[in-house]
Amino acid sequence: MENRLRVLRATRNWSQQDLAGRLEVSRQSVNAIETGKYDPSLPLAFRIAELFELPIEEIFVSPSRRSSKAI
Amino acid sequence: MFAAWRSDFTPAQRAHTKRVLWLLLAYAIVLPPLVWVRANTAVAGYIPLLMAVVAALPVLGIFASWGRYLSDETDEYHQAMTLRRIAIATNATMGAAVVWGFLQAFGVMPLVEAYWIPLVWVVIQGFQACFGGSSTRGQND
Repeated sequence: MENRLRVLRATRNWSQQDLAGRLEVSRQSVNAIETGKYDPSLPLAFRIAELFELPIEEIFVSPSRRSSKAI
Repeated sequence: MFAAWRSDFTPAQRAHTKRVLWLLLAYAIVLPPLVWVRANTAVAGYIPLLMAVVAALPVLGIFASWGRYLSDETDEYHQAMTLRRIAIATNATMGAAVVWGFLQAFGVMPLVEAYWIPLVWVVIQGFQACFGGSSTRGQND
């Protein structure tokens, strides 16, 4: 799933390790989410949204919305 | 390697690795004398059964450690990757065991002891970990 996690992280000047510490996950988890290799669970997606003080939809791009735009 | 142990492993991974190392050590200590006794003495009755169980216990402990790891792991990504590797390794190993079994039954391949099956299972997981494309090494920024 596409997301803006890397951009949001960069605006706060956080490394992946910094973000991982704040979310209480591993650095590999953050990397996998940023690169789209892994989609977070709903609780983790909510924690990410709360950390950045944004709605989930402004961080993660819904796959259905992405394909409808392509049409 | 030790730097990766400190920084890249989750606490659950570290605990699991420690348990497995101790169990492998126990296996290495226990197995040779049992094999020697079996090869050089005429044990009978319940003793060979007991020896077989004792030899298998450390390996059973390793599988129990895997189960413990999956329940201890709080990082959902690592948990998901481990479950995926286990599922693929189990399917591949069971498939290979079935094929080998029939090849053996039809006289094409020699008999292979069943205790090699878990080793194949572990090796397949190792290959996945090394070449599965889920590595994030060196991608920190």
